[in-house]
Amino acid sequence: MAETPRVAAVGVGYSTTGRKTGLTSRKLAIQACGAAMADAGVDGTDVDGIAVLWNPAGPAPPGLDEVKALDLAQMMGYVPVNWHVDGVGPAYIGPALQAIAAIRAGFCHTCVTVRVINQRLSGTELKAGADATPSTGDEQFRRPFGQLLPLQAIAAMPMQRHMAVYGTTEEQFAQHAVTQRYHASLNDDAIFRDPLSVDDFLAMPYLSTPLRILDCDLPVDSGSAVIYTTEERARDLAQKPVFVESAAFSGTGYMAFEIEDMVKNAPFHTGRHLWERTDLTPADVDCAQLYDGFSIITFQWLEGLGFCGPGESGPFVEAGNTRLGGSLPLNTDGGACNVGRRHGTNFCIESVRQIRGQCGPRQVPDANVAVWANAVGPFGGAVLMVGE
Amino acid sequence: MDTLVKPPMPVPDALTEFFWEGVRAHKLMILRCRNCGHFIHYPRPVCERCLSEDLAPEEVSGRATLYSYTITMKPWHPFWVDKVPYVLATVELPEQEGLKMLTNLVECPHDAVEVGMPLEVTFREVGEGLTLPFFKPAGAV
Ligand SMILES: [Zn+2]
Repeated sequence: MAETPRVAAVGVGYSTTGRKTGLTSRKLAIQACGAAMADAGVDGTDVDGIAVLWNPAGPAPPGLDEVKALDLAQMMGYVPVNWHVDGVGPAYIGPALQAIAAIRAGFCHTCVTVRVINQRLSGTELKAGADATPSTGDEQFRRPFGQLLPLQAIAAMPMQRHMAVYGTTEEQFAQHAVTQRYHASLNDDAIFRDPLSVDDFLAMPYLSTPLRILDCDLPVDSGSAVIYTTEERARDLAQKPVFVESAAFSGTGYMAFEIEDMVKNAPFHTGRHLWERTDLTPADVDCAQLYDGFSIITFQWLEGLGFCGPGESGPFVEAGNTRLGGSLPLNTDGGACNVGRRHGTNFCIESVRQIRGQCGPRQVPDANVAVWANAVGPFGGAVLMVGE
Repeated sequence: MDTLVKPPMPVPDALTEFFWEGVRAHKLMILRCRNCGHFIHYPRPVCERCLSEDLAPEEVSGRATLYSYTITMKPWHPFWVDKVPYVLATVELPEQEGLKMLTNLVECPHDAVEVGMPLEVTFREVGEGLTLPFFKPAGAV
């Protein structure tokens, strides 16, 4: 029996990304895969696995094309593939962990992972069609009460709970947004780059207390891809390999954000397993890239992964630890609030680029250990990555 | 007010019909395991604690504490156009640690809402044919 291979991320890439690009789902996927292949220096015949997540966050508008793993593999010249996965979520952490597991198990040696987001599938774009969502299953206990958008249960109520239990403040959430915007100002690929102040943030109206629009990520059309392979193959490719040191996932349920423990959920459970599987500790991490679908999620990951104690994320952010130059530079690309929604993939890609030393003005000096995390509440996971 | 705008109507199924029947009779019913006594919400066909499938609805006290809440400012559905802001709330029932349900907090000034406050159930007709179990501050008249 062959030894379990060490897995490396060797290629990363994005599609054209932006508000209402007009690109089809397949175009976004093709562009992202092509960019990641060029980055890695591989062609289609080098790839033998594919893991894709494309799913609508509600009813898909008529005419919207789907992205399916084998369809994409055929278009990109990967076939025959030895491994394929469609639609394992909850976000990019799904395909990433599928690829890492499949390579470790020997089902394939080189796996392309893809996350495609269509802006018009996002919750806010669906509001006009709110009536169309049937209140069946668990939705019969949500929608009649006015639980209509994810932000109410995923973000606003957990924020309120965190504030009540730990004394976290709206100013601390504002400080986080200000820090992320500063990082975005150093990233040519970011969409929002103008300076932001705490006062600017607090002057925004509430959508659903205590949450404001700047607590939310930015819906865009985006395709993102990362290629993983074995250490042996990684050595022959174009980029300095970035290795998967440890990876973990936790699931406690399905979309039951509103009735589960709102402060100790998937990030908390994931953190324990992530650190059990490595000799490294949180103190060894040079930068953290922690999902910010909503700002409270980043706070939960800071605590869940042990960068600060339970309930201490607010003061930790307020003290400046998460700013470039601080003890734990966080979301150095600017986060999805500023670069646009890639459902976690940007945090993997930024980790890889930081460890490669390719981040220009936002480079963390000598970064060699990075952790990225994705998703929250009843499901989420994290990956610890290292250079040589 | 446009009385033609209907709220999102729950679509009960065999597993959940008891809850809505209870609400219509102004009773808050929660599914309970007849083998080990564990309460289960949202309704599921099995007890997560003992795996018994012998489950039956039981009326609970109607008391609760406020676990968390959000005051929603925008009407993301036509029915709420004349109802914002409203207090969407998660409440914890005293019958079992961690037993929670989603509801609305009513009869409480918005600046007096506080996590941990004691509540009690109140049944409201919100639209034609729809009664919902809301919660109000305990002892409110
Ligand atoms: Zn039981």
